Amino acid sequence: MASLLFYLLAATALLATLLCITRRSPVHAVIFLINAFFALALMFYLLGAPLIAAWEVIVYAGAIMVLFLFVIMTLELSPESQRPALSRRQWAPALLLFLLLLISAGLILTFDPAGQAGVPFFYASPRSFGAALFNRYGLAVEIVSFQLLFAAAGAYYLGRRRKARQPEESS
Amino acid sequence: MTAPELIALLPLLILALGATALLLAARGSVGRGWPLAVGSALALSAALSAVLLPSCVTEVGGMYSTGPYARFFIALWSLATAATLISSGPYLSRRRLPSGEYSALLLFAAAGMGLLSSAVSLSGIFLALEAFTLAFYVLIAFNKNCALGAEAGLKYLVPGGVAAGLLAFGMALLYAASGSLQLPAATAALTIGAPMQSVALAGLALLLAAFAFKLSLVPFHFWTPDVYQGAPAPVTGLLASGSKGAVTAALLTLTATLPAAPAPFKPALATLALLSMVVGTLCALAQSNVKRMLAYSSVVHMGFVLTGLLCWNHTGRTAALFYLVGYSIVTLGIFAVITSFSGEQEPQQLSDYRGLARRQPLRALALTVLLLALAGLPPTVGFMGKLAIFSAALAAGLPLLAVVGIVASLISVYFYLQPVIQMYMTPAPSAEAIEGHSSEYGIIALCLGLTLIFGLWPGPLLELIARLTP
Repeated sequence: MASLLFYLLAATALLATLLCITRRSPVHAVIFLINAFFALALMFYLLGAPLIAAWEVIVYAGAIMVLFLFVIMTLELSPESQRPALSRRQWAPALLLFLLLLISAGLILTFDPAGQAGVPFFYASPRSFGAALFNRYGLAVEIVSFQLLFAAAGAYYLGRRRKARQPEESS
Repeated sequence: MTAPELIALLPLLILALGATALLLAARGSVGRGWPLAVGSALALSAALSAVLLPSCVTEVGGMYSTGPYARFFIALWSLATAATLISSGPYLSRRRLPSGEYSALLLFAAAGMGLLSSAVSLSGIFLALEAFTLAFYVLIAFNKNCALGAEAGLKYLVPGGVAAGLLAFGMALLYAASGSLQLPAATAALTIGAPMQSVALAGLALLLAAFAFKLSLVPFHFWTPDVYQGAPAPVTGLLASGSKGAVTAALLTLTATLPAAPAPFKPALATLALLSMVVGTLCALAQSNVKRMLAYSSVVHMGFVLTGLLCWNHTGRTAALFYLVGYSIVTLGIFAVITSFSGEQEPQQLSDYRGLARRQPLRALALTVLLLALAGLPPTVGFMGKLAIFSAALAAGLPLLAVVGIVASLISVYFYLQPVIQMYMTPAPSAEAIEGHSSEYGIIALCLGLTLIFGLWPGPLLELIARLTP
């Protein structure tokens, strides 16, 4: 059961990613990317990592994709690329992929191949996940947080407008 | 994280925490000199603690070694960063760039380079590489009044992102094949007869492509000339020496864990080295912009270093590291001279160097000696490095690489002499001389002195490197 679900989800993720990088419209691409993230989340659950599955949905499909959509909205794309009518060719693949995901999720919920009763050896509870993250990989977490701090500072520096320079440049 | 581990990490902690403190303290630091002074003092104290402090543990977190090899590189990159900070004061104040952010980013880049040189696991390599690459994305585009700088930053960002992706893919495949991120265990899956050798080889190929991007080996070199041209001259100096050097140090750790090269790996690396030497030399011949010429020359030099690694023995690795140290010193010196020649504009075209020998005889002489060191003429460290690498390559049975390398160095004399000819043999235009600052003179003199000392008396440095090379 678990291997059948895995292949179903892997095919969904691959197909969704492929469609994502071939779409013209950025909004359609985002829809397919969210699809791929959901498939990945279900795969993480199947592997016995429910916390990562939840984060995949909350952080990637939720927060980052919403940010993406905001950026696309603020870019104010030309009206030529926003066609009003949705043809069947555009929404049919997305609907199909989401149906596949729904069926997989339903199967997982019914049979629970990766739950605590299923394969307890691989089950990563939030507690053990946190312990591994902040003990064994504590140094890695610290390095990543330093990186993010300096990336934020650098982005702020590059994006900041310089006021003092303006009068000099005109002279 | 225990107390001995924290003490073992002290040099890197000084760099990273010092960078954070500078970031917080130095707001509105345009035209101020003190962040640079504090930054270089922090870098020097990191280097000092890396050399003096004994380490009670061999590894930290299973990701970074604290052995002599790691300590040597942490000290080297800290010193290179200190030299860059000291020599870029007048450059920054002339362009009204904030020295606080600049010092903080350079210190963090130094911490990243030190981490990368001491990485002993795949995850350690990835995190460290991304740490200093992030700092360089900003540093390359640091001069916001220069359109070329923004272009260079973008041109470094996009290949950098691709390289990070390739690196992650390659590491995932290696992990899938071996079940470990620790270096000797992760590469054990590459040995012939291992159950998933083909998957591991695919991972290694992706890993190699990512490293080739960072080292700008042909055919992954296309970003190099534009980035060198657009980045501020002192940043280019650190990018050419420290960033490439740290990646080479990690590649050396990786190759040293493989007792014999897996079958398709060695020809692939040899092809990269060969192409880098040939294409780099031919492209450098056609340049009229000195910074672009130096970019292609760095492609050629990374081909030389790879030749040393390809010997696949201790002698070859020692030669490669010695060459790397020499190249870093010379490159830092050259970019310090270019920095000190910079007025409102950096002197980039060959014609900008006309008659400089008459107006600035000392710095012109220093630039001449350093360029000849890149060309590999005695009595400089460049000659000793090339001698070590090519003799190691001949002894290890790589005659083709050695011969191509020697021919490439002979041809390279032509393009290294172009700025020298401009400085000494063409009449000076009536432009006014740019006064050098004493800090710039100090760094140039230091690099020049080390170039000559290690060229005439390479024994102690070679012995030191031979002892710490894995």
